[in-house]
Order: sequence, then C-alpha cells, then structure tokens
Amino acid sequence: MFKNYLKVALRTLNKNRSYAAINIIGLAMGLMVCIIVFLFISKETNYDKHITDHERIYRIGNESKKTGMKFPVSPAPLAEVFRAEMDEIETATRILPGRQEILLIADQKRVYVDKSVQVDSSFFEVFDYQFIHGDAQTATKKQNGIVINQMTSEKLFGNENPMDKIIRYDDRTDYVVTGVVDEPKGDAHFAFNYFLTDNEMNDNWAMNRFYTYFKLKEGVELADFLPIMTDRLLVKIEPVIEKYNKMTIEEYKASDETGRHYVIPLKDIHLHSHTNYEISQNRNIIYLYVFAAIAFLILLIAGINFMNLATARSAKRAKEVGVRKISGASKGMLITQFLTEAMMQSLLALFFAFVMVELFLPGFNNVMDTDLSLFNTGFKETALFALIVTLIYGLFSGSYPAFFLSKFKPATVLKGDMTKTKSGSFFRKSMVVLQFTASTVLIIGMSIIFSQISFMHKKDLGFSGEQVMMIPLQTDAVVENFKQHKDELLKHPNIKSISRSNSLPGGITSQTMFEVGNSDEQIPMWIIAVDFDFLKTLDLKLAEGRAFDNQMDNDSSNVFIVNETALEKYNIENPIGKRIKMATGNNRDATGKIVGVVKDFHTESFDYEIKPIVLALSSEQWMATIKIAPENAQQTVEYIETKWATMEPSHPMTYHFLNERFGAIFKDQENFGRMFLYLTILAIIIAAMGLYGLASFTAEQRTKEIGIRKVLGASVPQLMQMLTKDFVKLVLIANVFAYPISLLLARNWLSQFTYQIDMPIMPFILASVIAIVIAVLTVSYQAYSAAISDPIKALKYE
Amino acid sequence: MITLEKITKIYRTEEVETSALNEVSFEIKRGEFVSIMGPSGCGKSTLLNIIGMLDKPDSGSYNILGKEVANIKEKERNEVRKQHIGFIFQNYNLIDELTVFENVELPLIYAKVPKADRKKRVEEIIKRIGIAHRIGHFPQQLSGGQQQRVAVARALVTNPDLILADEPTGNLDSSNGSEVMELLCELNDMGTTIVMVTHSAHDASYCNRIINLLDGKVLSQKRNSTERNKLKVEG
Repeated sequence: MFKNYLKVALRTLNKNRSYAAINIIGLAMGLMVCIIVFLFISKETNYDKHITDHERIYRIGNESKKTGMKFPVSPAPLAEVFRAEMDEIETATRILPGRQEILLIADQKRVYVDKSVQVDSSFFEVFDYQFIHGDAQTATKKQNGIVINQMTSEKLFGNENPMDKIIRYDDRTDYVVTGVVDEPKGDAHFAFNYFLTDNEMNDNWAMNRFYTYFKLKEGVELADFLPIMTDRLLVKIEPVIEKYNKMTIEEYKASDETGRHYVIPLKDIHLHSHTNYEISQNRNIIYLYVFAAIAFLILLIAGINFMNLATARSAKRAKEVGVRKISGASKGMLITQFLTEAMMQSLLALFFAFVMVELFLPGFNNVMDTDLSLFNTGFKETALFALIVTLIYGLFSGSYPAFFLSKFKPATVLKGDMTKTKSGSFFRKSMVVLQFTASTVLIIGMSIIFSQISFMHKKDLGFSGEQVMMIPLQTDAVVENFKQHKDELLKHPNIKSISRSNSLPGGITSQTMFEVGNSDEQIPMWIIAVDFDFLKTLDLKLAEGRAFDNQMDNDSSNVFIVNETALEKYNIENPIGKRIKMATGNNRDATGKIVGVVKDFHTESFDYEIKPIVLALSSEQWMATIKIAPENAQQTVEYIETKWATMEPSHPMTYHFLNERFGAIFKDQENFGRMFLYLTILAIIIAAMGLYGLASFTAEQRTKEIGIRKVLGASVPQLMQMLTKDFVKLVLIANVFAYPISLLLARNWLSQFTYQIDMPIMPFILASVIAIVIAVLTVSYQAYSAAISDPIKALKYE
Repeated sequence: MITLEKITKIYRTEEVETSALNEVSFEIKRGEFVSIMGPSGCGKSTLLNIIGMLDKPDSGSYNILGKEVANIKEKERNEVRKQHIGFIFQNYNLIDELTVFENVELPLIYAKVPKADRKKRVEEIIKRIGIAHRIGHFPQQLSGGQQQRVAVARALVTNPDLILADEPTGNLDSSNGSEVMELLCELNDMGTTIVMVTHSAHDASYCNRIINLLDGKVLSQKRNSTERNKLKVEG
C-alpha cells in the first residue's frame, strides 16, 4: 500500500511541477536557513565546552554594586590565594593577554604575531591543551619560558622541533621554547598564539588587571562556595579598602558605592559576558534568538504555502479521494497517504536544502565573520536535527490537507463539481494573513535595524578618525627620540599632525580613582595619557578652558582635561583651575589642576554610555597617531613607512586607520543587519511564491466567472482589479497585526543601545507599501493571464 | 438481498428543505438486474448513494444481506462496501495518476490481498473485459468506452455481491454504450446483482425490473419483458 502511495505521490508531483516546485523550493530554502542557524547556534553555544571539567571552571571579576557595571579582571595575587588557601578550589590561574602584534625573532626569522598572553604555572592545569612537544606540567615552570602553538612554530621554525630554542620577544627579551601546543579542539572565548610564563610574585591587591579562572573541586557547589570566598577575599583586600576607600570592612560591605566580586561560569562567558574588558569580542545572545525566530518564521511561511496550495488544489484530488473511499480506503488510510506525500516532498526538500547549505554557507560565514562548515564533527547531530525538523514540518504542513481531504464525501465529490467549493477558503485566507504578518514584521524589523545602523554611522562621534594612522612604537629608542622623528615627519606637507597616547577611542582600558576640588571622595574616571597634539590630531573640541600647550605646560605640570560627562556625572562646577588628584595609576598620587573641558566623544559602541574621561599630559606613550591629508594618501603612507624603517630598523612598521579600527565596533551590528536583510528577502520570496501559486488556483477556480464577465463587457483592468483586490485586502489585514508586533520587538531591540533612534514611522509605511507591491505584482501576472484568456474557452472550462 | 423500508432523505439548507426521498420501499432479490429511472431531481442518485452506503437515510430501514445498515458507523459501512459492493459511474472516476492495472488493483490493496494474488486477479479480470492490451496505459490514453471497461473491471475485481451503476453509458456513444451494457448483462448472467440508475430506456431494456421514481417516491415497478429477459426467465 505504501508503494502505491509513493507512486501516486511521485506521479502527482511530476504532473504538477510548478506546484511541487513552490513547495519543495520554498521548504528547501526554509530548511537551509534552519540548518545554517542550527550550525551557528551549535557553534555559539559550545564555546569552551571542549575544555575538560569546563562545568567546574569559573572566571572571577568585579562589579559596581550601584550600576551593576562589570569588570572581568581581578588583582594579581588572587589566583595564588585560591590555590594556596581555599580548600574548595582544585586549581586556579591568572592570565594577562597582550593586545598588540609583537615582533618575534628566531633563527633569523622576524615575524609579527598577535594574540599573546602571560600565564602562570597553573594555566595548563586549568585549560587542557594538547602538547605536541613538552608537557603541561613543566612547560610553564621555567622563568622566561614560552609555549607556542603549531602555527607560530611553523612561522618561526618551519618543520623543525623548536624545543629549547630561543625566541627574541619584541627584540628585547629572550624566551626559551618550553612547549608546542596543538590547536584547541573547540572554540573558546580566547585564542592565543603563544604563552609567556609569568611566575612573578605580585602582591598588588589594588590593581585589577588580570583574568583569574578557578576550578572548583568535584562536589563543591558554587552557591556554597561564594559566601566563603567573599569573606576570605575581603580580609585580603582590607588594607586596600582602608587606604583607598577609607572605610572599614563593615562599611565597605554596607555601602552601595563600592564594588563586589562576581563569578561567571566558563561556558557562559562567550554569550553572556559583554564587558569593556573582554579578551575577544563575545557574541550577543540576542542574535541567536533572532536568527532562531527568523528560521522558524521562514519555515512557517513555507509550511503555510504547502497547506494553502494543498487545500486550494483539493478539488483536483477530490475525485481520487472519492474513488479510494469507494474502493475501501478508510479515513486513516487516506490521512496516511497524504501525510506520506507531504513527507516525501519534505524529504526531497531536505536533499536540496543540504545542497543549498553547501552553496550559501561561505556567504553566511563571510557576513557573520564565522567559520561554519556542514561536514564537521557534528554532522550527525546536524543531519539528525534537519531530519527531525523535516519530519515535524511534513507532519505539520501535511496534517491539515490530509484531514481536510480525507473528510470529503464520495457521494458529493464523485458526482459534483468540487471547483466551486468554498471549503477551506477562510483557512487559506487566514494563513495568507499570517504569512504576510510575518513578512511585514521582518520588513519593518530590517528597516529599523538599518535606520539604527545608519544613525550610528552618521552620529557625530566627537572626534575624527578619518586619515588618522595608528602606529605602535616598538622600541625604547624611538620613544625616547620621538620629538626628533616627529619634527622630521612633519616636514612632509601631507602630514598634518602627530601625537602620542596610551590608548585611543575603541580601546580605552584604564580606569583610575580621582579626587576633585576640596573633596576627598574617590571618584572613578577613565584615563587617557596624551601628549600636546592629541586634541589637534583627533580633532577633539574644547567646551571650555584650554588645550595642553607646550609653551605653558611640561610633562611634570600635572595638568588635566576632563570631558563634559565627568562634569555632569560628578557635579563638578567651575572646573577650570580646580585641583585634581590622581589616586592610582601610572603616575600614582599625582596632584594637578584641570585646565580644560573637552566636548564628549565616543570611545565605545552605542551600546554604552559615554564615560567620564580624564586626559592626562604625558609624552612617554607608545601609540603614535598621525593625521595625514586625504590627497595622495597612499604616497604619504609610503613616505612614512620609508622614514619609519630608519627610525625603527629592527621593527617593520605596522599601522591601522583609527576610523577603520573604531568602525570595527559597529561591525557586529552591521553584519547582523546584513544577515537580517538577506533572511527577510528570503522570507518574502517564499511568501510571494505561495501567493503566486494561490493566485493561479484562484484564477483557475474563477475561470467560468471571468468568461461570463468578459462576455458581458468587463475590461481587462476591471477583471485584474477583481482578482487582485482580495489579496490586497489580506495584506492590509496582515499590516494591522504586524504593526503592534513590530513595535514591541523593535522597542525591545533598540533598548540595548544607549544612543538610539526615535521610533520611526517610515519603516511601517515602507513595509506596507513593499508588502502590497509584492502581493500585487505576484497576483497580477496570474490575474492578467486569466483576464486576457479567450472567454469561449473559459466558458467551456466547466 | 436488499430490503428498503420507508427510506426518507431530506436535504436542508439555511432557507430551503428539499425532500429527496419520501418513504421509499422496495426489495431486490439476489441475481436481479434492476434499473431505477425517473426525471432529473427525482432522487435516483440519492437512492443509489443510500444503497451503496455513500449516504445515510434520515429515517427508514435498510437491510442488505440480512444486516440492518441504515444507521451503522462509517467504519462498518466501509467494511460492507469493501466486501459486498462495486461501483460504476457515468464519468468513470478512474485515478489519472494510476495505470489501468493499478486502478483495477486499488480495491484489492485496500482489502489487503497479497501481491501475487492481486496480480493474478487483476490480469484475469482485465483479460475478461477485453482491455489486456491497455494494461500499462493511463486513463487519459484510453477512449471513453475503454475507461468505462476499466471502471467495470475495478468494480468486479473483488467479486462483489452487488454492483451499483450510476448512468454507466451516460458519457459513451451508442456503440460503446451497448458494449458496456452487454458486459453488465454477462455479469448478471453469472449471478451478480446489479442496480443501475439510468435515463435511457434502451439501457433499461436490459434489466429484469424497472423502478420508476418521481418526486422522491416510487411511482411504479414493472417486470421487463425484453427478449433477453424472456430467455432468461425461460432458461
């Protein structure tokens, strides 16, 4: 019997190819999106899970009790205290990632390698890397030892065994290779190319710079451990609290103005930790939800196509149902038959979906900056997921037509003309409304996302990164003689300005405690150490006071410029000339005065508020910024490179443009927006395909009516209007549902941005227009074909 | 074989109530070839649908092969249909996607007859009705007469006790129509009970008995006295 079902299903598909194509291609596209989203979500939710005992590993950080703002860093001695004094902890490690490419020299090879990290002796106990040479127990015990990954090994030593060889780091310090590790077995929230051993004793509890991870002993519950840990750590930081917060432990615990420790499980870092100090950019979990929702919507739209076309075509299958019933088929047998057909189409679509995944995955990887592949170690899971979705889809989309068709009475369908039946038309209309509601929500969503992205691009950042080259200074010599080099470079007419600083917008990482005016209250502000020309190079605008001036100030002047947010946040009135004391940081306890207020400028993406910032004068910084003229920019860059080769002959110049580096902050949002756009287009195509199919059946059903109307004098436009208006009505009804849903979702999405657009009206109008135009264009072709057909043929149709 | 007593069927719409059958009673004996005649809308097809258990009467009693079936459930009706009744329609009602062989085989599949047995029985019946050379063709590739022969073969393949034919020659020319009627007579001669709805007096002349309906009531019943029936009675 099953063979008979298959045979009929295949022949029916073959006979109705366009109908089959709409179903199969639509579903294949839906399944393709599902499979890609599954691969994406699988990858994103499995970060750090390849690490042995990952469920017992945690990272500790600090958070502000008042604002909830988190800093994933902690003091240097913490890991040692965890190891030595806390029985609940099996082991712990501290790491300090490097943020630049560093020149590594070995065997005459000079290579810039990024992603470095300083690790203590327990690092490889917490994170189990596979050692190709050396071993985890001894690799980090040696002072000035370096563990490299295979890629770095190949870059520096080719195929040779690098063990015990010397790598000269930044042309300053020699390290001995103590191990070579293989690539990690899975994705992690950090990826390092080399590990420098750092076993120095460091008892500075005041400075939060290190990332500390600890592994709990088996059987220890985090919830039980946390209060114990907090009490013991408070004892450790008591002197720091007394010195800087001027509080007792009890006062510190009771105060809302202080901080506290927080702990995040290792496996949650990638999707749930979005602080300023992440080692690498983590993924916003909202993307996973949005993509999963879109995949579901696309599948729903394809499923509705299947149901609508199947029920619309019911007249064509009615006779078959009648014949089968009088031949002895029960309702159950017919339901099984139609479900088998739905399943078969779904399985065919699955095959095409896999082919399409292979075709479109590189594009997805490119847009989302990821490296998904279909045939990876998780292929079995992917295939199983796709199969389950396909079977559920087949059951879901096949069930309504199956029950609908199997209910037909043979006495009616074998004698009567089912083409006149109104059966199922309300259901079909409802489904079209649902499809277009989903499509309109996506169009509105896409439009709002792009409005926000456009707003972020157009918004005045408060500084200009255009034509500003960022060049790290690599050697002490060039730092010491920078003034001389600067004067030499400035002779070039297209070099407009040169300055130095310790950080730049997009990478400001230092926070320090200050006292302002006569108050001894400690207030945290972000600090950038800059030279005299920093404001000029970045085109920062003064709100009041003056800029740093090399005629009036010198390096030991202790003069500061604050931003507007600092004044506003800490109620600093009449700031010019006010005393300011820097309590911690590089120039510990430096006291000086405020000489200017700079207008606010963005240093992070628009998810974050502008922070209170202090610019401190200093001429010993390692990041040079050179503003060049837009004319002949390439030649100017080449000129700088040539000059640089004489300034720092040991280190080839590396550079980035500040606007590109800062723009990378928006990249994630832009990628998300682009992917949302593609998925929306796909959803609209599938919905339009369904509408096209439905319109063709409507036109077919109304052939006789069209013929009579033509004979009675109806014009082609009148007939087209008659055939399209019903669909347009459905699309308009869909808008009524889509507006509030979109408004709700858009408000929710925009709330993640501190700086966001006002809810625009245009996307709503635009979405309605697009939906109506698509519906009209789709239906018009069928309507036109029906309207111009020969009325005699039409009247003979029945 | 069949006894109908006071069978009534009323069709209701929101505004109108139409009595399709009004207390119809008659009996059909095993081996009879009965024709139901009457003008359009007199209730012929409704009556045939009730006899074939494709429709339920609103009141009255229907007994087939000693079993009261007027109010049994759909599942039981399906079983009775499957075991005892074959249908032939004016518009053949073959499944376009199935070949001649597959169309005829269909009732045997639903009756769960083993494959080898099915093949044998289908080939036999197709040969018997003279369309063996068309066994692999699809309905669209056949003439009307050939399609109706396939429909007859499908009705016969389960060896039903009763064949219900609804204007079996309505879509056929006179030559093909006569061939189909001859085929039905042959079946009747072999013992199959046939009830046929027809407008055609010519077709009705092949039957043993003619029941005339008018406005949902039995107007008259008469024995047929054609040559064939005379011979049959004498034989």
